[in-house]
Amino acid sequence: MTELIPEVGSTVALKKSAFNQLLATLEGMGYQPVGPRILDETLQVGPVEAFEDMPRGYTSEQEPGRYRLIYTGHPRYFDITPGAPGWKQYLFPPRVELFTVRRTGKSWTIDEPSDPTPIYAFIGVRPCELAAILVQDRVFLREEWSDPIYRTHRQNAFILTVNCAHPCGTCFCASLGTGPRATSGFDLSMTELEDMFLVEVGSEAGRMVIAGLPFQPASAFLLQTASRLLEDARKRMGRELPDPQELPGLLMSNLEHPHWDEVAKRCLSCTNCTQVCPTCFCWDVQDQPSLSGDVSIRERVWDSCFNPDYSYIAGGNTRPSTRARYRQWLTHKLGSWYHQFGVSGCVGCGRCITWCPAGIDITAEVAALCKETVV
Amino acid sequence: MITQIPRHSLAIEISKPMLPYWAEITQIQTEAPGIATYWLRFLDTAVREGYTFHPGQFNQIYLPGYGESAISISSDIEERDQIGHTIRYTGNVTQNIARLKLGDVLGVRGPLGTSWPIEDAKGSDIVITAGGVGLPALRPVIYYAMHHRQDYGRVVVLYGARTPRDMQYTREYEAWEKAGIETMVTVDRADESWNGQVGVVPILFYRLRMDPRRTFVMTCGPEIMIRFVVFEALARRVPSNRIFVSLERNMKCGLGQCGHCQIGPYFVCKDGPVFSFEQLEPYYNVEEL
Amino acid sequence: MSSDPKELTAALQSIPWFQELESRHFESMSSIALLKKVEAGEELFREGDKEDYLYIVLEGRIAIDMFVPGRGRQRIYTAEPMDVIGWSSVTPVVRQRTASARAVLPGRVVCLDAPKLRQLCDQDHDLGYVVMRRLANVVASRLLVSRLQLLDMFAHPSKETAND
Repeated sequence: MTELIPEVGSTVALKKSAFNQLLATLEGMGYQPVGPRILDETLQVGPVEAFEDMPRGYTSEQEPGRYRLIYTGHPRYFDITPGAPGWKQYLFPPRVELFTVRRTGKSWTIDEPSDPTPIYAFIGVRPCELAAILVQDRVFLREEWSDPIYRTHRQNAFILTVNCAHPCGTCFCASLGTGPRATSGFDLSMTELEDMFLVEVGSEAGRMVIAGLPFQPASAFLLQTASRLLEDARKRMGRELPDPQELPGLLMSNLEHPHWDEVAKRCLSCTNCTQVCPTCFCWDVQDQPSLSGDVSIRERVWDSCFNPDYSYIAGGNTRPSTRARYRQWLTHKLGSWYHQFGVSGCVGCGRCITWCPAGIDITAEVAALCKETVV
Repeated sequence: MITQIPRHSLAIEISKPMLPYWAEITQIQTEAPGIATYWLRFLDTAVREGYTFHPGQFNQIYLPGYGESAISISSDIEERDQIGHTIRYTGNVTQNIARLKLGDVLGVRGPLGTSWPIEDAKGSDIVITAGGVGLPALRPVIYYAMHHRQDYGRVVVLYGARTPRDMQYTREYEAWEKAGIETMVTVDRADESWNGQVGVVPILFYRLRMDPRRTFVMTCGPEIMIRFVVFEALARRVPSNRIFVSLERNMKCGLGQCGHCQIGPYFVCKDGPVFSFEQLEPYYNVEEL
Repeated sequence: MSSDPKELTAALQSIPWFQELESRHFESMSSIALLKKVEAGEELFREGDKEDYLYIVLEGRIAIDMFVPGRGRQRIYTAEPMDVIGWSSVTPVVRQRTASARAVLPGRVVCLDAPKLRQLCDQDHDLGYVVMRRLANVVASRLLVSRLQLLDMFAHPSKETAND
């Protein structure tokens, strides 16, 4: 233990046995730690009270349309890649009240929800998921206006990232530069080694948390071990996305490519991909009136561009076919998103590939679209 | 064309942009079967005095218990006390607005979207081409041209409706003509009691003599009509950056946040609804985009 | 009907596609043309009539109506200055008028003798080509208008699943 408090940007080593102290420090500061948990034999995200809650010994096999949670008994706590749920549900809740209106004479009064916003510490955010949060920051927090719900949840959140040493079959963060190592945007970032965590301090908040813990200097050996581990991981990605920088131009000039018909035969328009995608942000707003009509709760709920009603306009639908909707999703995610937000909408987490019941793989679909058509 | 509205004139809370401002209905004018103009006056004096909009913009009109509907503002921008919205009764929200009476209160969020290029068009001729419920979105341009008639060359209104009964704002045509706005109307079908033109709006455009070097085209209506008007305009060599269209898509937030109204890279609520054809050209002929 | 040569020539010269005719073709067309003044409400031809003339509107407005039993006379189209009406008199297929034409506003029309026009086209294929090309344009334009009318684009949208 040293007396110095690590600077932002520095890396220290922390014995795994000190992790419960880290959780306790976070709780003491008012955070509710949430992280990956094995619940009901699936990988979920839930409250984390102790280090033992982590999915130690578990791994997952992921392929297009296939997910298996497997217990191998390995000694690592964070060696499992994301399951279906992620952090999006905390910052951008699937169902949330915007306000309630109450009839007052001829007019109405607005009651805004007054429940205190929970303060979360996200434990075990993967670099791809962190990249997704940074993408959603651009969507929900803009110069012209910002979403108050996202804003308050986001500014309160503490992010503890864990770098990926063992990517799964559907991962492709390396081709997008979003992993397997987080470079910025976190409060603390950890790499899991045999008995130690290497902890990189990303912010003042991270500094304050690490300050009271029994950290040690990170030796060159530990740094090299971690480096090698992550470099190996980068080379072992399950798949890759061809030429992400070229995609906006390529996709937007191939809107009538015959391959769209091909995908449409397989796509069920089930919206799974949009639900598990950590950057998808579409939402609907609905009124829930009382029977008398004097009170109405206005709620925001997740929506999906695959929903048939999504593109409804008076008297018709502008995207009635699955082909049109799939094309919208893909060209938006990998193409027009760039024009709108200055970054790709995809972070290479591979969830859409794993959780698609038809096993559609966007890296394969993009590769097919990149092929020239012979006219 | 992206207009920056100063904050005091917005009926939108920047930090809580989904909250409505309340306005009472001061007038309901029936325009045609199934279409009426609702005049709204903000209840809050500060908002009422501060609210301004540009021609082509829209408000999200909220009927508690039912939802919101994006409605183009169809009144004169110089009319500050009340804001006019010409509404066609089509869906759940608008059909229930039809049941409201004077004094009833609706929620308003706005003004939203881009506007017609009335400044850029100064010194040129304007051909306003509207069909059906496209005319309300263009009426503020007509009023503006009337108030600033010297700033423009020819100002022509070409308007088409389904039948003579469906024509909107008929009581105003005389005033428009008197103010030097050439007004030509047509209907899709009629019987022998109608002595006006029968045909489609693109044909009105086709018959018009114009100088493409100094003409701005502003058009709004069913997308198929817009398509053929643009076709005619391009055939007459009006450059695509002087052809403006107003489009419609499913809108929920009006802020470019919920994703519904996208066409290609554009959010119709934020990058539109008024677009130059130059912006739309790469995407225009893609079906079901 | 007027056949004052000066007035006729001036009228024909005001028609854009006549201005492009070679002078011998212009002469031929002049020889089969007549000028006619119409009053508001005056009928040019009626459904079922034999087809005798091809008309070009100079001024005024001519309504094209079709009679539907039970609904009365439906106005399908109005011809404005420079529009061609009665074009079916020049094509071989249809042998009687399929619609009626009635002036809505007072004006003038050029009447071209249809049988003589067909004869001229048979004798001089160059003229025939120009005339047929012009008529093909007219028919194409009319077809497009009809299609857009058929699409009924201003119709009130279906109310079934509207959620606004």
